[in-house]
Amino acid sequence: MERQDTKGKIVQETFPSEIVSIIGDILAGVILTLLILTFKSFLILIIIIPALLSLRGSLSGPFIARTSKDLIIGEFNTKSWIENVLATYALSIVTACMIGIISIMLDLFLIKMYMISMEMLIIIPIMAILLTLTISIPTSTFLNYLAFRYGFNPNNVVNPIMTAVDDFFTVICFYFILIMLGVP
Amino acid sequence: MEYFKKVFKESIIIVIISSFMGLLSGTLLSINEKIIYAIPIILLILPSLNSLIGDICTVLTSRLTTHLHIGSIPPKVQKSERLVEDFIGLLITILLSLLVLIFLGFMIGISTGINIINPFLIIFIIILTILSLFFCLFILLFISSIYLFQKGKDPNNLLIPFVTSLADFLTPLLLITFIIIFI
Repeated sequence: MERQDTKGKIVQETFPSEIVSIIGDILAGVILTLLILTFKSFLILIIIIPALLSLRGSLSGPFIARTSKDLIIGEFNTKSWIENVLATYALSIVTACMIGIISIMLDLFLIKMYMISMEMLIIIPIMAILLTLTISIPTSTFLNYLAFRYGFNPNNVVNPIMTAVDDFFTVICFYFILIMLGVP
Repeated sequence: MEYFKKVFKESIIIVIISSFMGLLSGTLLSINEKIIYAIPIILLILPSLNSLIGDICTVLTSRLTTHLHIGSIPPKVQKSERLVEDFIGLLITILLSLLVLIFLGFMIGISTGINIINPFLIIFIIILTILSLFFCLFILLFISSIYLFQKGKDPNNLLIPFVTSLADFLTPLLLITFIIIFI
């Protein structure tokens, strides 16, 4: 599959998915601006958001790439998929904790707002990323499988679409968690 | 649980570094809040720009990894027909996507009443930023994929998190730098 891709096929498969990604991200940007700007603690939240979006990319992207690689080279099976999922969740918890701890330090020494408690600053990224992955993992696996089954290269198609889906849901889940935890 | 251990072990450091870079990116945006808000169209399309360069680099990395696994690219830093084909394919994709992104961004900007100053200069800065990043990251990813593959590691686990967060950090940094230089 990958061996035979011409530049035309790369454009043909990647460009439409990229359009979906662009539209999704413009929507995510608009929603982010409309929803998060209204919070009093916006200055500290705006520091967490790019980290969450970045964490989403660094967890979901490799998960999708590993799944598509396993499908292409014929090593995809339930056991490896479950271990792939568990590793992604474990990585997300560890790194979300790191985001929380660094946010606390930035709040203490740089922003100096003290509007969100320390526990909240750790809980918010953990819950937001776990909720996002719970939507993202089944969706991306299903898309990978569909793309592979219908003769598309999952590497070209799934990642850009999932970027839009993930970015959109990261923002929505983040907002949902803020509301749920009563963040000012 | 060998697959779990392999993925976790190979990814943990780079994922932590990438989240740290995400925090740096957020801090960079906060510090340069005035510049970003002076040219609001940049603010509107910044998430899409981050995502565009991140997506293309992710596609490139996963393609390079698969090429290396199936042997369609030799594990050596040398020019090959397959590599050139991938480069041109992704370059065309990024140029077409940029056109759509700029068009949609400006349309939404106009329809929401955002003041667009120096539109041609802004478009030039956006294109310059994305193309500079693409050329640099293509070379970086190619060399790094070969190196990691030779070391027996999966480039997907290390390079995708690294490059997406690097792009998230470098895109606003380059945009702000070019705005300061040209405007």
